Amino acid sequence: MSCFVRTKRLSLFLVKLVGKSSLSPHILCSSSWFCCPRKTAPYCVPSSALLQIRFWAAASTSDGLTLQAILANNWSILDENDGDWKSHASAIARSIHLIKRRLQWDKLKPRLDMLSFQLNKADFWDDPMRAAKLSREHGSLLGKMKLVNALEQDLLDHIDLIKLARQDNDAHLESESLKALVNMRKNAKEKELEALLAGDQDSCSCYIEIQAGAGGTESMDWAAMVMQMYMSWAQRRRYKVTVVDEMPGEIAGIKRATIKVDGEFAFGYAKAEIGVHRLVRISPFDSNKRRHTSFAAVAVIPILGDGSTHVQINESDLRIERFRAGGAGGQHVNTTESAVRIVHIPTGVTATCQNERSQHQNKASAMAVLQSRLDQLELARQAQLNAQHTKSLTDITWGSQIRSYVLHPYRMVKDLRTNYEVSDPDSVLEGDLDGFILSYLSASLDKDDDA
Amino acid sequence: MKVTLTSVYSPYCFPTLLKSSSLSTLCRPFCSSALPSPPTCVKPQVPIFLRPPIYSNKLCDLNKWHDWAKGVAFSIGSTFVHSDNGPDSSILCRELKWLMEDAVEVPSLDDERVRMRIDIEELYCLWKQRVHERRPFQYVVGCEHWRDLVLSVQEGVLIPRPETELVVDFVSDVVSENEELKRGVWADLGTGSGALAISIGGVLGSGGGRVIATDLSPVAVAVAAYNVHRYCLQDKIELREGSWFEPLKDMEGKLAGLVSNPPYIPSKDISGLQAEVGRHEPRLALDGGIDGLHALLHLCDGAALLLKPGGFFAFETNGEQQCKALIDYMENNRRGSFCNLEIRADFARIQRFVIGFRQ
Repeated sequence: MSCFVRTKRLSLFLVKLVGKSSLSPHILCSSSWFCCPRKTAPYCVPSSALLQIRFWAAASTSDGLTLQAILANNWSILDENDGDWKSHASAIARSIHLIKRRLQWDKLKPRLDMLSFQLNKADFWDDPMRAAKLSREHGSLLGKMKLVNALEQDLLDHIDLIKLARQDNDAHLESESLKALVNMRKNAKEKELEALLAGDQDSCSCYIEIQAGAGGTESMDWAAMVMQMYMSWAQRRRYKVTVVDEMPGEIAGIKRATIKVDGEFAFGYAKAEIGVHRLVRISPFDSNKRRHTSFAAVAVIPILGDGSTHVQINESDLRIERFRAGGAGGQHVNTTESAVRIVHIPTGVTATCQNERSQHQNKASAMAVLQSRLDQLELARQAQLNAQHTKSLTDITWGSQIRSYVLHPYRMVKDLRTNYEVSDPDSVLEGDLDGFILSYLSASLDKDDDA
Repeated sequence: MKVTLTSVYSPYCFPTLLKSSSLSTLCRPFCSSALPSPPTCVKPQVPIFLRPPIYSNKLCDLNKWHDWAKGVAFSIGSTFVHSDNGPDSSILCRELKWLMEDAVEVPSLDDERVRMRIDIEELYCLWKQRVHERRPFQYVVGCEHWRDLVLSVQEGVLIPRPETELVVDFVSDVVSENEELKRGVWADLGTGSGALAISIGGVLGSGGGRVIATDLSPVAVAVAAYNVHRYCLQDKIELREGSWFEPLKDMEGKLAGLVSNPPYIPSKDISGLQAEVGRHEPRLALDGGIDGLHALLHLCDGAALLLKPGGFFAFETNGEQQCKALIDYMENNRRGSFCNLEIRADFARIQRFVIGFRQ
């Protein structure tokens, strides 16, 4: 251990000599290493013995500060621009902690030990298929572990540097180190997000479906507001948004709608919005100015990429019908209403599209929706794991309320699952949803841990 | 009131394609070269969405128009639905959205001004025509989205119906299994806007198959030619002006396929049609005589004469009664000419099409 400390002291000294913090080149390269674990960072590790120490002994700064201690200190996290080093350190520590939870850190070590044991057995390669699989897993886990440990070590090194700089009154080194810490904070945040969105379908585009609850025009108006909220949210995230299907209310708002959100991780984020959204306000549709409570249900369906296996749909299992058909049709009728409804007879799943201007295109869009719904059903059947994210609109009971938007008598939006709340409903309704989404995604990790 | 959309802009002006309405020029290839302009020619109108965005308008003026137009649409409620099964407010609102899409250039100039393909004054006029005169939306914007095509349409040309899209699927199924038919010559009789001919031209692909499209109406032929040019299919689709088979005298026993959506509405039903259809669309493309079968029976006779053995045909009809009458006619009056006759339904479950093969 003393050797380790000395080595580090030496490296700190070297850094000081060179005059800039080039400690950890990999921190600056933002590769998405959760997706490709074999891509290892060019971190310079002195010796394998040292590596072992870094793995399993809790790493610490020269004065004994550990990641756990930083977390326990609960230093307040300020904005990136005006935080001191404690604030940055605390933010980075939290990100690392979260990534560790996502990787199921506590189970990682026993698993890795088991894999090493297997790898060293004399008859290991007798079954090449299994051997290849296990050695791949070993490599992947080891890679992830190295990276997280490197992240942790870098944090502590940076803290050491800052303290050293202060001791020696070296303003230049201090500001450089602080800058490096801020960079690291941004980077760790990105990695944290990647860790949160590591589910199989998370990277997919998705459909968001919105349905008005009971309550007539007021709740149809609310459903339209919810739809608008998601459209703005998607635009803020630079996703492409299209309305696939929209059934307007008689007076205002919508009865139901399906929007398509195209872009990377659209499903990963949007899945946090599944459930019932409740609005309390003085209804503009009530001449007596009374307070109303209304509900809108939201479902989110992933659109599986080309690489995934899609459910095979037999043409003969489909019933395609004109939406709102009636009368003699053909030359008798001139209508711009060319929506079709497609029914998948074996499952009863249906899809409609009325957004396109030709029947052919409406049919193609409806087929895409149908394909995604059937894929989703199949996913739910295969993996109970994902059950909470694969609910269709009909499964969402009006009891599964996830969020309350109160505009009167006070103003607040509160997530009932995470207790995350915001006092400015307007910004939320304008699509500023990321706070809610991220807090939910982090909270669901906690749940996974408990399970 | 007669509606004329005076189209002053014609940026896609190709050589005038038509040599009056003389029926003596039946077999002349149509798009071949720049013939000297005949004295009376039909100049196809340019759909709004293809016009250059030369107008600059204030966003607030556009919004004012939009609010007004929406009010007009809502004032209709379901009045038209009750009177003749016409559009209701929600359909009109969707059309309004599409009219905006076609008329307004995106993105806007800045926060206050938008570039438009048509002046706001004209938008007021067009929307009045749409709602108060029941002018079909497709004539208002000058186009119809049909299958994956956007076809130019105007007064004098039947607006292609969604039902007819299925005819292309039938042809596609047949040629995917029969390379010989795919390489052959197909005919679309009474082509109107050219919808079927253009789609089938696409389905035949680059294997040498081609389409001859005929129409009696010079306006239809001009509009179809415009559409064919827009999809760059002039090498594949030949337009001939004339009544049904008259321009096809050189094709006896040579056609690989024959499709048509002929007029099939019984004459007595014309007066009760939805206003958009009865008041604005060409009677020539709708009225099928006393029982509506006049053109269809003529097509059956022609199909027996022009299709080569194994050739395919698909006709659209008024419904179950006409389908059965046609099959009956082919099996009895044209015994031995056809085989594998089938009735196919449209998406509204109406028995709409008769398809089959030349024996």
